Amino acid sequence: MTFFVKVLQIQSIVHCLIYIDLLILSFSSLNPAVITVWFLSVSAIAMFCNHPVITILTLTGAVLFYLIRNKNGHLRSHLFFLVLFLILSIANPIVSHNGATVLFVMNNNPVTLESLLYGINSSAMIVGVLYLLRSFTQIMTSEKLLYVTGRLSPKLSMILSMAIRFVPLFSKQGQKVNDTQKVLGLYKDDNFIDDIKGHIRVFSIVSTWGLENGIITADSMEARGYGTGRRTQMTRFGFTFSDGAVLAASLVLTALCAAAVAAGKISFNFYPRLISSEFGFMGIVGSAAYALLVFMPLLIETEVKLRWNYLMSKD
Amino acid sequence: MILIQSPKVRSFIRFVVPFVVIPLIVLWGAVVFDRKKHIIISLAVAFFALLLFASGFERKSTGSRRLVIVAVMTALCFAGRFIPFLKPIAALTIITALYLGGEAGFLVGALSAVLSNFYFGQGPWTAFQMLAWGMIGFIAGILAEPLKRNRWLLLIYGAVSGVAYSMIMDIWTVMWYAEKFNFTLYKGALITALPYTLSYACSNVIFLFALAPSFGKKLGRIKKKYGV
Repeated sequence: MTFFVKVLQIQSIVHCLIYIDLLILSFSSLNPAVITVWFLSVSAIAMFCNHPVITILTLTGAVLFYLIRNKNGHLRSHLFFLVLFLILSIANPIVSHNGATVLFVMNNNPVTLESLLYGINSSAMIVGVLYLLRSFTQIMTSEKLLYVTGRLSPKLSMILSMAIRFVPLFSKQGQKVNDTQKVLGLYKDDNFIDDIKGHIRVFSIVSTWGLENGIITADSMEARGYGTGRRTQMTRFGFTFSDGAVLAASLVLTALCAAAVAAGKISFNFYPRLISSEFGFMGIVGSAAYALLVFMPLLIETEVKLRWNYLMSKD
Repeated sequence: MILIQSPKVRSFIRFVVPFVVIPLIVLWGAVVFDRKKHIIISLAVAFFALLLFASGFERKSTGSRRLVIVAVMTALCFAGRFIPFLKPIAALTIITALYLGGEAGFLVGALSAVLSNFYFGQGPWTAFQMLAWGMIGFIAGILAEPLKRNRWLLLIYGAVSGVAYSMIMDIWTVMWYAEKFNFTLYKGALITALPYTLSYACSNVIFLFALAPSFGKKLGRIKKKYGV
């Protein structure tokens, strides 16, 4: 009995917090526009600035975020990224012979330390951004992306959402046509040429059907007053206080870091020798801002988990 | 959606955007800046694709029918990307452009890139794919008359656009990896991408050969029947 009371209490606390907009359930439940801004700013800075400090921050943040979301799964992706990282790291010293410190000579071409480090830095950046994009693709479902693009261009967003809807529709109709053709005895699977011809015919039928069906859909939409009002969404993505806070934080941190990068405080030259710019106060603030930005989703997720544990452990 | 009223401005934008503005932005981002500005490039390309679209599609009664046909072709492209080894996207884009005009072709190419990358992974390369496939469609729309008349010309265009697509994507690969454009790396990338280049060119030729006449008939019929 007391257990149920406890659960009810926790639920009511959580509901209260949701009600007054103060609780972030998780990073992925934020408004899609906020998530897009975060991803765009992190990957933009990561790709503009090749300073090893930024690269390391990006890589750690991206990998940790991916791990915290997917736990121990997706081992194959990790393996793929590792192999990609190694190949990309070696590619640069093989083709580029710039740099002052010669490690050894291969086929009469010097292999330099600088170009090796440049390769490692570049591939770490690429792998970091790829990890980020993996998470982005997981979080931003097509519906969320339509929400974001729908604000920019309702027509374009409409085409995309219709196309997404047509894909399963076509495969379903294709299956039906295929079955019918087979039952009618028009083609057999075991004859290779017959099979290909049959599939081409099915494809042709389905595309004609799709075009006609599309026109009917369009007419029906027109008749029901498509385009007379604002486009609405099935899921409601409200813009809460926490959305605003995360958005503001991302923008401010990005601006701080971008200012430091633009002022040349966070820059790095690999050739001919490794030279890092003097960081100074601005550089340190910029890097710290970037670190905060990259780790923001991790902080949010951890905070949520800690609060949950705290609520569960109460009394 | 931005609606451009004056037809003169519309046709001006129609030619200036794909041939002057988009390549200039890409080159400017790649050459003038030492640092990499791909995100800005991708945003700019996406924005101008939108503008091009706005210039082509007015809000008229056939508007939504045209939109839906573009959506159908985009869906077919997306479904086609799952075929192993052969990629029908460029071929379908070219076919759309031949019968529905350059802007429709641009849209089908660009939107298929966005859509299929929901599955294959979004990234800054999406913008480059959008640009490459979109341009293949747009140029096909301009050359529509000779391409429709001469089938050999169409097949050659398909092969050339397949090779061009691969080369454009390799430029992007190299630019992402190296800070400045590096010709040795580019050559290396071209050589490693050779199987893909061949696959693109071959599948364009195969699909154009197999689909162009029948799709032309279908789209022509729809155009005639419904006045799209």
